[in-house]
Amino acid sequence: MEIKTTGVAGTLESSDIQIMISKGSNGIEIDLDSEVKKAYGDQIEKVITDTLKKYGLDNVKVKATDKGALDCVIKARTLAAAQRATETSDKPELEVL
Amino acid sequence: MTYVKNRLRRTMMFVPGNNPAMIKDAGIYGADSIMLDLEDSVSLTEKDAARMLVYEAIKTVDFGGAEIVVRVNGQDTPFYDEDVKAMVKAGVDVIRLPKTESATMIQKLVKDIEHWEDEFGIEKGSIGVMAAIESAKGVLHAPEIAEATPLMMGLAVSGEDYTADMHTHRYPDGRELEFARNMVLQAARAADVYAFDTVFSNMKDTEGFYRETNYIHELGYDGKSLVNPRQIAMVNKVFNPTKEEIENAQAVQNAIREAKAKGSGVISMNGKMVDKPVVEKANRVLETAKASNLIDEEGNYIGE
Amino acid sequence: MDKVVDLYLSQPTTRKKWKEFLEKLGLHDFSDREIDVIDHTLGLIDEDGKLVGTGSIAGNVLKYIGVCNEDATSGARFNKIVTALQQYLFNEGKFHSFVFTKEKYSSSFQHLSFSELAHTEQAAFLESGNPNVDDYLNSLPQIPNQDNKKIAAIVMNANPFTLGHRHLVEMASQENDLIYVFVVATDLSLFKTKERMMLVQEGLSDLKNVKVVSGGDYMVSSATFPAYFLQSPKDLIDTQTEIDARVFKNIIAPKLNITRRYLGKEPISITTHYYNVSLAHELGPDIEVIITPRYQVEGQLVTATQVRKDIKEGNLTEIAKFVPKTTYDYINDNLLKLQDRIKKGMKIDGN
Repeated sequence: MEIKTTGVAGTLESSDIQIMISKGSNGIEIDLDSEVKKAYGDQIEKVITDTLKKYGLDNVKVKATDKGALDCVIKARTLAAAQRATETSDKPELEVL
Repeated sequence: MTYVKNRLRRTMMFVPGNNPAMIKDAGIYGADSIMLDLEDSVSLTEKDAARMLVYEAIKTVDFGGAEIVVRVNGQDTPFYDEDVKAMVKAGVDVIRLPKTESATMIQKLVKDIEHWEDEFGIEKGSIGVMAAIESAKGVLHAPEIAEATPLMMGLAVSGEDYTADMHTHRYPDGRELEFARNMVLQAARAADVYAFDTVFSNMKDTEGFYRETNYIHELGYDGKSLVNPRQIAMVNKVFNPTKEEIENAQAVQNAIREAKAKGSGVISMNGKMVDKPVVEKANRVLETAKASNLIDEEGNYIGE
Repeated sequence: MDKVVDLYLSQPTTRKKWKEFLEKLGLHDFSDREIDVIDHTLGLIDEDGKLVGTGSIAGNVLKYIGVCNEDATSGARFNKIVTALQQYLFNEGKFHSFVFTKEKYSSSFQHLSFSELAHTEQAAFLESGNPNVDDYLNSLPQIPNQDNKKIAAIVMNANPFTLGHRHLVEMASQENDLIYVFVVATDLSLFKTKERMMLVQEGLSDLKNVKVVSGGDYMVSSATFPAYFLQSPKDLIDTQTEIDARVFKNIIAPKLNITRRYLGKEPISITTHYYNVSLAHELGPDIEVIITPRYQVEGQLVTATQVRKDIKEGNLTEIAKFVPKTTYDYINDNLLKLQDRIKKGMKIDGN
């Protein structure tokens, strides 16, 4: 999977998470901004990492702004952003979810 | 979850498909059906993201036992195919087709659903369909649409688009919808499917909402589409059976029980035959009464 | 539920409604300078169709954001409109955005993952997305052992690059180990950003300790600084200077170990002179500001403004006196194109 552009999905509204994905060179680097980072930061990052790996991205810069999203929202937004970044949104890979 | 043809469907609450906060809470208000929307409430640039969100939500969110309906994008859009595929895979209860104008459109939807059921190894017939009637053409073809497939769950009038197609708009008295409401209801009843009325979006006009809901209840509609959870209790109140209706329905059930005990093939009550429509009506009344907590487990009336 | 809608300010009724809404929220500057640069405006309407929020986009800058929090969860409408504005930019392929706002709203934007680049008593400047200021700084060339070297900076628009610019850089080049020449990236001048950048590079190519780089989005120019949220338009220059100086001093300079900044003395424009003085005040004492006299040729001050006037009049022999050969050749080859831009309305008396 090749990242062709910056991909963003999700909003800054309550219960959502905004995920911005761009090309990286150093594995999956996540910059997470969340009010519940202390308690749930690791879990949120794990969901993002697992989703990206399953989709086939290993070198990615991720900027995530969490507004209290459930895991299912994090997964959906991560995949949407990843597919936008790889310019493959017209062929959704739901198997990843 | 699997599609059930007959169940209580007084309220169908619309939830925008790209709004996690509203999706997350959708199950707590006690709507009979929840309609997750991929169409009008989702902007063109967010179709992909909304589809994934709804897909994940159906698989993981607890909707409190409500029936899950998804409104996919129309067959004339590039989103339709992926929408149907994703919703079949997610295991939705019912797919709602917008802008339905012919039986062929519904048959295409059923074929597409079956194709993906095959692909994903899902049992055929697990997903129902419903048609949104939003144009003059759709209204005139309502009878063939209602009978298009055994998987038809129901028809819904969609007032905004229909009135635009008719060169008018919504009025408080609803006269502009008179023909469509009656036509769709006739078609639904004749085909033995459900009929849903359109949304009433002015939240401040409580009186108008009650007036409209009473009116469509009186016509014989099964339920109403809603945009705001606050309207659920209001619709339920209108659809609540009276104490007399409940007692009568209980009498019908007792008549059936007695006849069965006696091994009698003919059921009668008050000197009249209890036939299928009477039995079905009694069942509907009691189901509604239970859902609205008007009777306790033993059947005692506990409403006001 | 509130709904995001497109607002077309070219429709008089829409514009009136929008303006009245923002006026109620305490915004009063609706001058052409602020409005003409707006690319798109979004509105937020409630269930009754009443306008309860708005925000606009100008390039990659969010402007005129206002929400009414009556009957709404605090912050929800603000989040919604900012999200919608960002989504608009994402769809345009812009993943990096900025906001200039009242200082008191800085935290609201930080709450939405904007990072503050600088603030003053009145105003704050924030960015969101990528590439961000760290990416920008990492993209700038550095030399070995830079932390122990004497590093200076010059910021110029160079519209176009003159012998005056050249003289200033030469001087700095002799007094320091390394000079960064930041070329202002805003594309509002007679010479396009690409042309200015190229002419500066060519004009300085012989100076080995000079690095010509783009100022990116971080040289805050008065031409693009929005003033609509300030208490009075006369605060514009002060606030812009403070913000510009603070970004430079607190973010750019430390990363590159810049300890000096060279400015040309302003002999004509009082505004620019005033800007220089307050810039020196803001940057010090961490950054030493060295103001040098303007370079003269045959007793005449060399200014880019004069060169632009000569371009308008086609006075190539005059131009030759004030600019290096590289700039002269470019003007000579492109005189008609440049004159055409002036004819089409490009102002040449600014900077």
